[in-house]
Parts: sequence; structure tokens; C-alpha cells
Amino acid sequence: MTKHDKIVLSRRGFLSAAIGTAGAVAFNLTIPAPAHAAAEPVELHSWVVIKPDNRVAVRIPQVEMGQGCTTALAQYVMEELDLDPVQTDWEYYDPATNQARDNVYVHTATLASFGMEMLFMPMRTAGAQIRAMLVQAAATRLGVDAGSLSVEGHAIGDGSASVSFAEVAADAAALSVPQGVSVKDPSQWKVIGKPLDRVDAFSKSTGQAVYGMDLQMEGMKYAAVKQSPVYGGKLISFDFDAIKDMPGVIKAVAIKAGPTGYTVPPTLWDIIDWEMDDAVAVVADTWWEAQQALNALPITWHEGRHRATSTDSIEADLGAALDAGGMVVRNEGDVETALQDAAQTVEAEYHYPYLEHAPMEVMNATALVDGINVEAWAPTQYGDEALRIAAYAAGITTIRAKFHMTLAGGGFGRRLHNDYVSQAVQVAKQMKGTPIKLIASREECLARSYYSPIMTARFKGGVDADGNVTAWKSHSAQGRSVLQPYGMTRTVFPFANINVQYSSVEDTPLPFAWMRGVGHTQNAWMNHGFMSELAAAAGMETVDFHLKHLRTDAVAEDRADKDDAIARIKRFQRVYDHVLSKAGPAQEQGKGRGRGVAVYDMSYVPGFHSSCIGIAVDLRLEDGDVKLERVTASVDCGLAVNPQIIEAQIQSGIMFGLSNAINGKITIADGKVEQSNFDSYDILRLGEAPQMDVHIMPSEEKVPAGIGEGAVPVVIGALVDAVWNAGGPRIRRLPVRDHDLTLRG
Amino acid sequence: MTKLTVNGQEIEVDASPDMPLLWALRDKLGLTGTKYGCGIAQCRACTVHIDGEAMPSCQIEIGDVGASEITTIEGLGEDGSHPVQRAWVSGNVPQCGFCQSGMVMAAVALLEKNPNPTDEEINDEIVNICRCGSYSRVRAAIHQAAAEMQKG
Repeated sequence: MTKHDKIVLSRRGFLSAAIGTAGAVAFNLTIPAPAHAAAEPVELHSWVVIKPDNRVAVRIPQVEMGQGCTTALAQYVMEELDLDPVQTDWEYYDPATNQARDNVYVHTATLASFGMEMLFMPMRTAGAQIRAMLVQAAATRLGVDAGSLSVEGHAIGDGSASVSFAEVAADAAALSVPQGVSVKDPSQWKVIGKPLDRVDAFSKSTGQAVYGMDLQMEGMKYAAVKQSPVYGGKLISFDFDAIKDMPGVIKAVAIKAGPTGYTVPPTLWDIIDWEMDDAVAVVADTWWEAQQALNALPITWHEGRHRATSTDSIEADLGAALDAGGMVVRNEGDVETALQDAAQTVEAEYHYPYLEHAPMEVMNATALVDGINVEAWAPTQYGDEALRIAAYAAGITTIRAKFHMTLAGGGFGRRLHNDYVSQAVQVAKQMKGTPIKLIASREECLARSYYSPIMTARFKGGVDADGNVTAWKSHSAQGRSVLQPYGMTRTVFPFANINVQYSSVEDTPLPFAWMRGVGHTQNAWMNHGFMSELAAAAGMETVDFHLKHLRTDAVAEDRADKDDAIARIKRFQRVYDHVLSKAGPAQEQGKGRGRGVAVYDMSYVPGFHSSCIGIAVDLRLEDGDVKLERVTASVDCGLAVNPQIIEAQIQSGIMFGLSNAINGKITIADGKVEQSNFDSYDILRLGEAPQMDVHIMPSEEKVPAGIGEGAVPVVIGALVDAVWNAGGPRIRRLPVRDHDLTLRG
Repeated sequence: MTKLTVNGQEIEVDASPDMPLLWALRDKLGLTGTKYGCGIAQCRACTVHIDGEAMPSCQIEIGDVGASEITTIEGLGEDGSHPVQRAWVSGNVPQCGFCQSGMVMAAVALLEKNPNPTDEEINDEIVNICRCGSYSRVRAAIHQAAAEMQKG
């Protein structure tokens, strides 16, 4: 019998395990080290590292949480340096370096589907500059003119002599960064636009990928955490003696739940979240032992003023805000007169629940406080902020702090908040010299998160005798959130008489998070659904009615955003045409079969550059349930940097939107979240997933637009239309499965 | 001390017999390829093979395993040469990838029982949660692996 030793790495080897394994490409080739290569890796212009074996690592300033940025962003630098994909690795940017070098990595928060677009110029420019530096160093080494040299296969030469990148890397690093260097013309691209395989497919198919939860350090202990179950609650006491003899138990500590992690210092609307609530952590030899002891720990909480809050009471507050009238965020024409003159008017109230992101990897962070230093590791969407929060929680300056990003098992906006980093550091601060891995259970993650906010909206519309919408009025009220009326104000239809009001009810207990699709999700679905209600009132097919109102000639001459409004209408028309043709003829509608079609572009403001996505959902209503059959998507995303990753991301957004809309809701009773795990917060499974056909539309654009979120808002509009067209109920409240889905009489 | 047979190796684990196999694998043996996602057998990210059967390791106490053979994702082979893993890589199946160890283990167990499953059979057997929605590619990779394995 062999005694299996736990696999432990020294602190020195720790980082290479965390980053190196994750970053290794699928097909490691052994390249012999060139004769004059530097013995140590050489960093060039912050963005690449040239290794002694002539492999090149590209620095990635976004978190890899499934969206494929470690493949697709690397393509920018690979293109300019003509890198060989099989000799290219990636590594994360270092937040402390970014701070010291005045935000050299340009865009380090992973949010709003911005990564590919925001880094398009910076990473290509850096690649071109590094290429020029390497070429200049090679010219000097070879004693030839730089203009005579070309770059191929990680080497620079003129046909008669050549040197490898590794041989001249140190010389190149000593040169100043050249300015005014041109990036390649798109006609020269060999890598941008190609469906490169994911660099992480191998490590993630073999269990070798190292996520935050998988980090191991010598002497590491595990912490389980519990916040006040009622929002706003405070810790009175806990009784450690009751658990101190349980297996593996070391300590119990009182901590703060930590700041929101998105804005430090807090802006006005974060103040309630700033110190959040009290929490207790139990430390043990294994996480399971820590969690068992935490479950058994007698804790007394002061529940605070939200102890009687419920979903009903929050919805009543939203209703009161709607009754009171809101901030007018858009007003054109005379909507009240138009409503009086309309042949018929329609009114409806729509409801969207709180939702939680539920990434597969629960919140976790590892921290070590040692003397006057703090070092932390975590899966996060905002490493710069995590660094500041780690320093803040340790009570030291950021100069003494280090933070390392890890692979993330999903994020969807939840990991923009680094509360768990704060928690881990606070525990580690009370156990100096001992690395602490803090993990929140799934139950804790659902009970104490940051949530996509609840929303109620009231609509009133007028239609004339010819089926034209003559008046459009909406008022939406959201639970605590940032100001996000854009989905309501940015309707593409050029209504002559429109009034849009917005209210935010700030004194609701659940803290706010952006979630994949952000405020567009609530608003675009509701706008689309109400437009379809007006279609029914006018006696028209829903798709025909939407298309009939995409009229460039109806855009008012005096609109400040006239050009943008016309361009959007034309784009929506193109995407509708494309998705309708790809979806093909629909089966006979009704009697349980339905198709819904929607188009949306997540445009926040006039001129905003974004993808426009059209989706057709075909489904059946059968045995009182919804059966998804097929989803067809047409994607106008400008330059498609990596088409196979775009396809995966669109499928992912479709499933995220469908799962949330069909199953998802977070509800509150007695101030506590009622859902505790995937048995009460279910995610669509493989057997419920539709066939998905994704079509990337041809584009003349040479700039990419984001594709991570865009499918989420639009698929919900298509889904609720499909339910109606199948003969099911009008869905004005999500989730769909809360409705009686038997066919209308 | 509890004796376990993990990936063909007999191992002694210093933990109480009611510790779930998942946590013994992760925190006692350092086999972190097996993932925690829920702890209540809902998400199946913790799927391992017990005598060839796909089981959620969060629900199995180490004291109950006895002489049964435990296979984890690491035990399929670190070179990724299993046909299911090859199909996963060539099909670019993983996104965030956190569920994929469990997906791969579930798919391997399915194909050992049923070398050429229909879509309906895949629906019934692969109940793992993927929050990224990789299901289309999972299904395609299972069919591809089945075809490869039948070619031999």
C-alpha cells in the first residue's frame, strides 16, 4: 500500500501552477533553446513575455471566465508578431504592475462585452511596437538594415541569416518603445478572423485547469463563511465552544462581509453596501469540516429593519413609485392627446424578478497576510479592484499588496464584486502566516449575493384604425440599482408621441449587480412584449407588426439623433430579414406550436457601437410545459475576430437568457432569500436545450463589437412571443414556468 | 484512516468516515479536477466513477466506498487521449470549463454502457448543469466520441 501524499506546491511554485497550467496550449512542442537565448523570460513593453525556449506569452488583461478572451485577445498580438499558435501561451496581466505603470493594460475590468473592442487597437499597436523593437535589435545584431528583415516563426531574418526572438529579446527590451508604428492593414491579416481553437480546451477537458477554488499552498487552511441571513443584519454573538472539538476545526472569526468591490471609494448609491453586513467564518483543515462546523455553530443575529421585507412588500413599493410618477427620461410629441385620439388603447403591467448569476464555481479567494504584506488570489472580473480591496481589508497600502487572477468558473457580472476577496483577507489577517482559502457554499452564494434588480413596468399604448402605433407610454420602477433606463428610452421604433418615465426604489434590501444583459434584459423584453400586445390589438401578426413600424420615413426631422435612429432602423430591418430567411417557413402557428422573433442591439446611447442580434425561437407547449425545439440566431457583430468562439458565446447567451426566463427567480420572505440551491434555482439542462443555429452575418466593418451579452435580452422577447403564438398565455411576469402553460380556450 | 482505491492506487485518507468523497479527493488528496458546484447532487460537477458507474461524489461518504474502484478525471489519463476527451478538445466544448470534468466523466460512463446513444438517451443520462450553455457542443462531442470508439 502506498501512502498518497497530498500534492502541495511551495509558494514559489504556486504561481506557475496556477498560471502555467491554465495557460498552456493544447499541443506543447519542445523547442530547443537557441544558443544565445536569455536564461530568464524577457518582458517586452508590458504585453508579451519571450521565454528562453522561444515560446511567447501574451498578457491578457481580462479574466477568462468562459468567453474565450485568452484565445481571441491573444489573436491581436499574434497577428502583429506573426506568432505561431502552437508556440504561443498566455498569462494574466498583474494588477500591481498596472497600477505602477499608470493603467498600461488600458481596460482591465471584464464587463459590458467591451473586451474585444476596447483592446482592439491597444493590443495590436503594442504587438506592432514589439515587432519593431525585435526587428531593430535583430538588425543591430546581424549588422543589416532593419528594412531588409522579415519575421516568421518567432525568428527575424533576411534569407541569409536569422536570429530567434529569444536571442534578441533582452536587446529589444532595452530599446525605447517606438511611436507612430502602423498596425497591419486588414488585407494582411492571417489570424484575425480565423476560428482558432480555444487554448484552454485541453486543460479543461482533462481536469488540469486550475481555478481559484483549486489553488493549494503549503500549510493552507480552509474557511467557510456565513453572512447575516437577513439583509442589513448584525452579529450579536457566536459560541465557538460548541464546535471547537469538531474534526479539523481551528478557529471561528467575526468579519465584515466586505465592500461591493466595484467602486472604491464608494459612490453615493453604494453606501448601504459599503461595509455590508456582519459575517462569521470558521477555519478548519478541510473546507467540508469548516462548513460542517459553521452549520453547527450557534450564532445570534440582530436581524435589522429588513426582517419583515418580502417580494410582495418590495413589489408594493415599486407599485407606489409607479403611482407617484417618475423621472421623465424621454418625451416627444403629445402622448396624452394621442392616447385620447387612438382608435383603441392597451394597458399592461410587466414584472421581472430578482436574479442571481449562479456561475458554476462558487465565490472563493485565497489570501496570505504575512507581516506587512498581503497577497491574494481569486477568480474576479476586476483584478485592479481586488488589489485595492485586499489592501483595504488588510489595512495596508496597495504598494504592499499583490493580487493574482485565476481562471474563473463563470462570472456573468457576479465577480465584478470582490466581497469574497475582502472576506478571505480579513480571515487571513487574523491568522498571520497561514494561507487561507475561503469558499462560500452554494447556499451562501444564493442567499448573499448581488442581484440583477427586480423591476415592474406599466405600459399604455394607442393604435389607430390602420394598425399604426400612435402613442407609447411606459414607466418602469426598479429596485436598488444604478440608473439604467436605457432599454426603455432606446426603443428603435420612431413613435411620434412617446413618454418614458423611470423610478428607482433605493430602499430595497438586495444589493445591485449587473448581470449578463444588464438593464437591457428587463427593458428590451418588456418593450418587445408590449409591442406584440399592440399587434394583437391591431389584429396583425407580431413579426409583420414589428416590421411595419421599422419606418425610416417616420423619424422626426428635428430629432437630434436622427441619423443614428435611421441607421438603427435599417440595421434592424437587415437583421430581421436575415434571421427570418435562416429560420425558414414556420410551422402552422397555434395548437401548441409557436415561433417568436425579436431583434435587439443593446444600444445605450445614440452612436453606441454594439452587435445587433436577431433570434427566432420555435417551441411547443405540451403537457402544460414549454419544450424548446430550435433557436435560430443572426449576428451582426462587425468584424468577427474568432467565429467559432462567437458561435459558442451566442449559444451561451441564448441558454443563459432562456434558463433565466423559463426558470429563474430570486424571492424574499422575512428578509431572506428563499432559494437555497439548484433544486430551488434550477438551470436548464441538456435535455431541455433547443437545437441552436448561429449565423454570423457578413460585415464590411473592420472593428469588432461585443458578443458576450447581446443574445440574452433578445431571446426573451422571442420566447414570450413564441409562447403566445403557440396558443399559450401572454407572459407579463417571469419566469415562464410560473404560468399555467395550457393552451388558451 | 479510511482506505480508498483511487485511479488504481490504494490510498489511506486521514479523515472521518462521513466526509464526502468529493472533499476527500479535493482537500485531502489534492485531486482538484473533481469540482464542487452544489453539494446536493443537482449539478453533477463532482461526477466520478465508482466501479465504472457515474456517481456524484458529494453524496458518497468515504466510509461507504469500501473496496470499490474510484476513477476521477485525472484517472482517465493526463495525456487527454481518451476518445471522449479528444472529442471535447477538437469540438472546443469547454467555455468556463468548470462543469466539464463532470460532463466528461458522465459521457465516458454513458458510452461504456451504450456505445451509440441516441439524442434521447443522451438527454436522459447527461443531466449535469452547464451555466455557460455548452450543451450543443457536448451533444455533438458525445456523438463524435461514439463514432471514434466504434471505429476502434
